[in-house]
Amino acid sequence: MKELVLLGHVFCGVACLLATVWLFVDVLNAHEGNLARIRRLSRWAAAFLWLAFLLGGYWDVADYKADKNVILKGPWPFAHNFFMETKEHFVITLLLLATYLPVATSNNLVLNKEARRLVPCVAALVAVLALMAEGHGAIISMGVKVALLAKPN
Amino acid sequence: MQNTATVSKHTISFGLSLALCAVLNAFLVIAKETSQAVASWMQRITGHHWITHVALILIPFALLGWLFARTNRGQGPRMPVHRLTPLVLAGVVAGLLILLGFYIIAD
Repeated sequence: MKELVLLGHVFCGVACLLATVWLFVDVLNAHEGNLARIRRLSRWAAAFLWLAFLLGGYWDVADYKADKNVILKGPWPFAHNFFMETKEHFVITLLLLATYLPVATSNNLVLNKEARRLVPCVAALVAVLALMAEGHGAIISMGVKVALLAKPN
Repeated sequence: MQNTATVSKHTISFGLSLALCAVLNAFLVIAKETSQAVASWMQRITGHHWITHVALILIPFALLGWLFARTNRGQGPRMPVHRLTPLVLAGVVAGLLILLGFYIIAD
C-alpha cells in the first residue's frame, strides 16, 4: 500500500508536468481552435497536482518517519536535511501555481496578448518546480538506498 | 485599459494572492524552524506541523484572492496584466530563493 501511494504520487506529478509542458507549447500558438484544449489541459494539470500533493502529503505524514530515520543514520543525511525539507515546502507554492493555472487560462488568450504572456510564465514556473520536486524525490529515495546499502551485514 | 478589460478580476486578485503567499510560505518556514514555540503550536493545531503549514498558506491564498476581487467596488484591483506577470514571477522566485537559502545556511 505504501509503495502504491508513493508510485501514485510520482505518476500524478509527472502527469502534471507533461500536461503543463503541452499547455506551454499550445499557449505559444494560441488560436480559437486550441483554446478549449488549453483550458482543459490547465484543469488536468491542476487536478494531477492536487492528487500528487494529497498522496505525497499522506505518505509524508503517515509513512515517511521510518525512511527519515534510515536516511539520517546513512551517508546521505542531506537527502532529508536539505532535499526533503525544501521539497515539503516548495510544493506548497507549486500547488498554488497549479491551482492558479485554470484561472489564468480562463481569459481569452487569443485576443489578449498580455494574458497570453502570463500563462506561459505560470506554466514555466509549474514545470520547473515540478521537475525540481521529481529530482528532490529521486535524491530522497537514493538517500534511503545508500543508507540501507551502507548497513553492515 | 484593453488589458485589464479583457482579463477576469480573479486573474489579477488571485495572481496577487499567489505572489504574496509564495513569500509568506518561505517566512513561515523560517518562523517554524527558528522558533520552537511556533513549531510546537503548529504541531498541536492539526497533529502535524506540515498539515498546519499547508492550511496556513492555502487559507490566506483563498481569502486574499477573494478579498482582492471585492476591492474597487467589486471590480477587483486596477492592475494591468503586464504588471502582474513580473509580480507573480518575483513572488515565486523570491519565496523559492529564501527557502533554499535558509536551508543551505541552516545546514
